[in-house]
Amino acid sequence: MPFTAYDLRYNLQDTFPKLCAYLQQRAKRWLDSFAYDSDEVDIVVEHVIEQLTRLGLLGGGDHAPETALDRLNNAQFYAFLNQSVKNKAIDRLRRHRLLTSSLSAFENPGNLEEENDPLNTVADSIWGSPPFPTPETAALQAASQEELRILIKYCIEELSSAPRQLLAVIQELDEMGIGDLVQELKEKFHPQLADVELSHLSQHKDHAHKKLRHCLQHNSTNLAVLVALRLTEYGQYSTGFDEISVDFKTLVNERISEEEMLKGLNHLARVGLLDWHGEEIVRISPVQLKHLARFYEEGE
Amino acid sequence: MNKQHDELANIRNEDLLLAQWLLQILVTTPQQELPTFTNKGGQFQEEYHREFYWQLPDFVQALLNNATQEELIRFGPLVFHLIGCPTCHTAYLEIYDAMRATIGIDEARPLTSTLPHSTATTSTHILVYMCQLLIHQAAGILSEAHYGHSNNVSWARSLLQQAIYLSSHVMQGTQRQRALQDLVEVATFFDSTTTPAAHSYLPVFSSTGGSRQRKIKRRAETLGRPNELAAINLQSGLSKQVGTITQNLDMLELHLEELGQDLRGQFLLITIPFGSLLEPVRWIGGNPLAIRSKIPVGEEGSLTTPLGSTDLQLSNLEDYNLLEAMFIKLDVRTAE
Repeated sequence: MPFTAYDLRYNLQDTFPKLCAYLQQRAKRWLDSFAYDSDEVDIVVEHVIEQLTRLGLLGGGDHAPETALDRLNNAQFYAFLNQSVKNKAIDRLRRHRLLTSSLSAFENPGNLEEENDPLNTVADSIWGSPPFPTPETAALQAASQEELRILIKYCIEELSSAPRQLLAVIQELDEMGIGDLVQELKEKFHPQLADVELSHLSQHKDHAHKKLRHCLQHNSTNLAVLVALRLTEYGQYSTGFDEISVDFKTLVNERISEEEMLKGLNHLARVGLLDWHGEEIVRISPVQLKHLARFYEEGE
Repeated sequence: MNKQHDELANIRNEDLLLAQWLLQILVTTPQQELPTFTNKGGQFQEEYHREFYWQLPDFVQALLNNATQEELIRFGPLVFHLIGCPTCHTAYLEIYDAMRATIGIDEARPLTSTLPHSTATTSTHILVYMCQLLIHQAAGILSEAHYGHSNNVSWARSLLQQAIYLSSHVMQGTQRQRALQDLVEVATFFDSTTTPAAHSYLPVFSSTGGSRQRKIKRRAETLGRPNELAAINLQSGLSKQVGTITQNLDMLELHLEELGQDLRGQFLLITIPFGSLLEPVRWIGGNPLAIRSKIPVGEEGSLTTPLGSTDLQLSNLEDYNLLEAMFIKLDVRTAE
């Protein structure tokens, strides 16, 4: 007999072996070449049971509040578990640097054994694709689009002094189906773009993206974004070390007071972009620098 | 259904595409640098916030169902918390992705695969981890209750009971010790006694305990005396005081040796913090936190006194493990 979320909540002792067996089977499926590494399988299974315990489901009885997980039908619940296992397995594979492209590399549609597996009851959604590809996209969607659109447009227009980069971005937007904005930009910059030919598209696109990131950060009213920008602008590579450092006092300017800088640095440290605990010298790793250059938040 | 599909299609407007593009140039990180969900090698040191954590599935479901702003308002505190808490934020991302996979799945054909019914086939490592998780969660709940933030003691008790029952299926002594290692700390929440204990005993988990017990069982069955040879060995920290718990028919008996001069001739009060966790034991005096010894400590520093009766049998491996877990901490002090 399969188990249910209800069983896990009210009868953990009897159901736990079944849960483990199912998670192990899924872990072996998604761990690919590490399927027979029992340590890796255990890590994946442990992660999922930890999540379920924290959510109050495992052994929660009447004490832990009911959540949306309790209201999933059985097929949905198995799909939830399967996806949780898959995500952690991919995370482990990434750690082993085996995953270099997209997640689809791990999917094997021709695997008959997998298709016949009665445990694999996950079906395609009858609603088609999910509403948002990532949670961040959902968050962005929820935010005011109008203001952001104006800002993006402004930053794209700033590229007009580099027509090849502007054209590269326009082409990119066109390919994505952002027709209205593309039309608007083409009309406005028709003279500059008239004779431009693109030979090294990806190079121009990369340069354009870099400028756009800088422009978006520079025009942001979000304190943490401005602090991130200052760090990327004023950070200096330390001699002999693979590390960037910048004096706290250098970061303070007429736009950002000392108090605000402290607040901004603390925020960046809290979200994991910095290892800073109030030191006079802010030290940044090259990876952190890359993330700071891409950091952007909505709002003040 | 079509109406819902149309609504979803309308969301995929130009603004969303623009937002996706913005994300692509801003927040896309190289694959190997993506945050990992856990990096603890079997430990769970990341603190999470239970109150918010529980709301995540409902919040995610509301987002996936395109809940109205009015419906989302109740999650306002959670949203603000997620901004500042990397642990809960990571969990949110995980749960979002996993719940997204459930959209639109109707109840499908029943699963027919055979799944095991016994913990015998479950990895010991995972069983141990599950016990640790349950105890860890119980400790968090008791800690909150201790500081007056909640009153969920019965929940914590339930989690500890489940941990102890699961640990009884772990046959290797060292692994069982690992599974229950945090129980001693949790025991302090159950012991309201203010007088310091003269001695505090812990069971000696032996890696050979299982095989020894099996031998005992075999010998005992042969002899037709099932209980008298099986014993839980106790040791009192660095002071090396030793003791044992044996069973005479259904009566559990405590034997202590080498007790100090100050305890000789005195009646002892025995405290078993987890004594009330497992119901099958009927304690002498009815209170496992204050069991008065039947006789005083002898002149040679030894004491034998009954503790309570139970249907559990020390000669049975799983019963033995349950009782051993219950005696994870045993304190003695003078009765006066």
